[in-house]
Order: sequence, then C-alpha cells, then structure tokens
Amino acid sequence: MVLELAAVSKRYGRRSALADVSLAIPPGAALGLLGPNGAGKTTTLRLLLGFTRPSQGVVSLRGLRPTDPAARRGVAYLPERLCLPARMTVHGFLKLHGTLAGLAGAGLAREIDAGLALTGLADRADDRLGGLSKGLAQRVGFAQALLGEPGLLLLDEPTSGLDPLGVRDARDWILAARARGASVLVSSHVLSEVERTCDHVAILNQGRVAAQGLLAEVLRPGESLEDAFVRCVRS
Amino acid sequence: MSANSRPFFVLAREALGDALRRRLVLVIAVASLLSLLVVDSCTSCGSATIVRNGQSVAMPEIAGFSALAVAIACGLWTLILAGALASDHLAEPLADGSAGLVLARPVGRGSFALARLAGALVIALGSGGVLLIGAGCLLHARQGLPWPPLIAAFGASAAGAVTVGALAMAASLQLPRIATLLLLLMGVAGVAAANFAGLFGAQLGGLAGLVDGYGPPLVSSIAFALREWIAPTAVPGNALALGLRHGVWMLASAMLLVHAFRRAELD
Repeated sequence: MVLELAAVSKRYGRRSALADVSLAIPPGAALGLLGPNGAGKTTTLRLLLGFTRPSQGVVSLRGLRPTDPAARRGVAYLPERLCLPARMTVHGFLKLHGTLAGLAGAGLAREIDAGLALTGLADRADDRLGGLSKGLAQRVGFAQALLGEPGLLLLDEPTSGLDPLGVRDARDWILAARARGASVLVSSHVLSEVERTCDHVAILNQGRVAAQGLLAEVLRPGESLEDAFVRCVRS
Repeated sequence: MSANSRPFFVLAREALGDALRRRLVLVIAVASLLSLLVVDSCTSCGSATIVRNGQSVAMPEIAGFSALAVAIACGLWTLILAGALASDHLAEPLADGSAGLVLARPVGRGSFALARLAGALVIALGSGGVLLIGAGCLLHARQGLPWPPLIAAFGASAAGAVTVGALAMAASLQLPRIATLLLLLMGVAGVAAANFAGLFGAQLGGLAGLVDGYGPPLVSSIAFALREWIAPTAVPGNALALGLRHGVWMLASAMLLVHAFRRAELD
C-alpha cells in the first residue's frame, strides 16, 4: 500500500477527531476522501504527513513512518489553506520546492519550465506570489505539487479558488498524474470532481469511516455519489 | 554540498532572506549605528584625569576597564538580538502555515529548525560583529589596546548567541512571543548578573553560584577573552573550561530545540 492508516484514533484533549479509522491506497489508485466539515479529513492528511501523531493506531506512508523524511520522498502536498511567501517570485518558489524535492541543475530547470507551462504560469514566472489572485496562487500550488512527477499526491480541496477553466485544468492534471502511475488522495467537498478523478472513495463522518471502497461498491444501484454521501452522513 | 546537506543550506538561505526582510532589521541597523556613535563618543576621551580614592588616575590606566565594559555591552547586545530574532523566526512560519508546504517535503524537522536558527543568528552575529569590531578598531586606534583578543571575544559572544537563540526558539514553540521575550531578558540578565558577580570575586552560593559555575558563560567568557586589556588585573577562569561549557550549552540547547520541534504538533 502507498499509504495506510490502521485503526487510527486521534484526540485533541477530550475531543475525538478520528476514531478507529482504517484506510489504505493501493499503488496507482485514487481515493476521494469525503465528509462534512469537521469529519476528520484534514486531520487524516496531517497524520499522513507526520504533522501530528496518532493517539492510537499506526500510520504509514510508503511503508515508513510519516515522521521519517524519507517517507515523503516523491510525495506532493497541496494544502487547503495555501500560504505562499508573498515576497518570493513564482519561479523562486518553484525552485525552492524543486530543490527540496531533490531536483537539481538542468533537471530542476526543465521541471520548473514544464510546471509553469502546464499550469499556465509561464508569463507570470517573475511575479511576486503576494500579488497573485487566489486562483493563480492555487495554480502555483499545483505547479509545486507536480514538480518532479511525484508518485503520490495528497490534495486538500484542490479546486478551491479556481474558476471553471481552472477546475477543468486541475482535473486534467490529476488524471495525467494518474495516467503515469501516481497514486492520489483527494480530500474534497466537490463530489462531482471526486467522481471524475477517483476510483476509490472513503466517507468520513464524525471521525469515523462511514463507507469506503471502490466507487462502484459504495454507490447503490441508481445512486449518485451525492446521494451516497447524504445517506452515509445522515445515517 | 552533499545531497543530504542541501536542504539545510537552501532553507538557511531562505531563513536569512526572511530575517533580512523584517522591519526589526532596520531597527537593529539604526540601533547598531547609534551604539557605534556612543562608543565613538566614549572612546574619544583620552587625556582626562580621574580621581579615585583621592588619587589621580590617568585615563589610559583605566582605558582597559572601560573598553571591557564596552565589549561586554556589545556581546550582550548580540545575545539579546539573537534571542529576540529567534523568538519568532520558527514560530511565525508555523503560525501562518507557510512551514507546512516545506515540511511536507523530505525535509527533517531538525534541519528546518536549525536552518531557521541559522538565519536569525547570521543577522544577530553580523550586527554584533560590526559593533564589536567597530568598537575594537576605535579602542585600538585611540587607546592602543590590542585587537586580537576581540576575535576570541567575538567567538565567545557567538557561542552564547547560539545558546540563547536556540533556547528562545525552543521556548517560542510553547509560549507566546511576549512571554518568550520576557523569559529571554530575565534569563540573559540573570546569567549576566551571576557572571559579573563572579568576575568581581563574589562568593556565590545557591542558584547564582550554580548559574555562574555551570550555566552558559555569557559574560565571563567575553571578559576572559579580553583579559589582556585589563592586565595585570586577573580574570577568573580558564580557556578550556569556558570553551567546554560553551560547547556543552550550544549542543544541549540545539538538541533541545530539535527535540521540542520534533514533538510539536503542526497545523
């Protein structure tokens, strides 16, 4: 498994954020992590990145503990609340993240150029990040996430702030990553996008897994993902 | 640069860039300049006669003591600056969320924390170094004091700055900034007071004795480095013991910072 949570619970003081959650993504699969606000989606991503530790259970990323930096090699992350350093240029920011991802020299320059072209930022390379609109900033977030063709993408509300064209572009980038064999975890409220980009879904409700499996397994006959979501959350 | 050390240097360069862009740096530059002007004014008096215990003492005879006081003040400025800059240089990117993207990369938390510390220290040591060297040049030119001891004094000041900066940064992971700054000022003042008392031959007991004997030798090591300036007056201590104490405190404070950051829960 590319990533796995086994019987994971996470408590913040007396509040339970996750309770006995087990999830896994096989190589090349794309999991849509769904749930209402406060269901535990972002906590799940934080656990996978080693930002926080489970109160119980085991989390593994590429077979390693997420706190081990080696586990995050080839892993891309796009947070929901994207905070970009305002003073940096788009190019400088991508160079920093490319370097941290292990790229160097001509390979790094090639990846940056490719990322800028892919995300439509080629003519904004020298712009300061602080001057970008939310949509453009989200494109920069995607560009940094896609540097170096990562094997695993962890995306938290990836279409946040994007216009309809941007939403379509984001979908294409995710599908392209999948086509070259990358695994993807998308945490999102936009069910239609999850339906189009993911083959697995997990629905969290109040910190517990209400349903998970292949999209076709979770949906009942004639049911849309929205119907399944409402059924799981309301039940 | 090896592949393993590259992230540290890249992050340290970023941390330095962040530190340079802070408004506090402008305040530091102005304060350093004003301090140099004060030193310039203090060292320009070379022919006065001072009466001490009813006896006239020529200015050059006490020049070493006044120069030592100036150098210690410069050293303390460096320490406070290192602590003040470090007190939010890690906490700020954590609070605004910008650290998350970096720490999602294959970057160890230890590398990140130490790179942020390095960025803050370069500014503090740069300012402290300019001040100390500027003061040293003036003292050398006007009062004939030898300048080589200043190198050791700067080394002592830098070692103290690493300790103070790392401890302030570690504290900032748990405390609000104002509490960290208060703790920093109280800590440096407490150690400096104990060191001064020890330098003047006071028999210290209890906590003050422990701080002077085993704490970071923030002031005593600077004074020891400049002992040549006040010869034949003796300065207690020896170079090896002071160096070892600095080494142990630097290592321990850096390890504490890394440990505290590894335990921290990030948003």
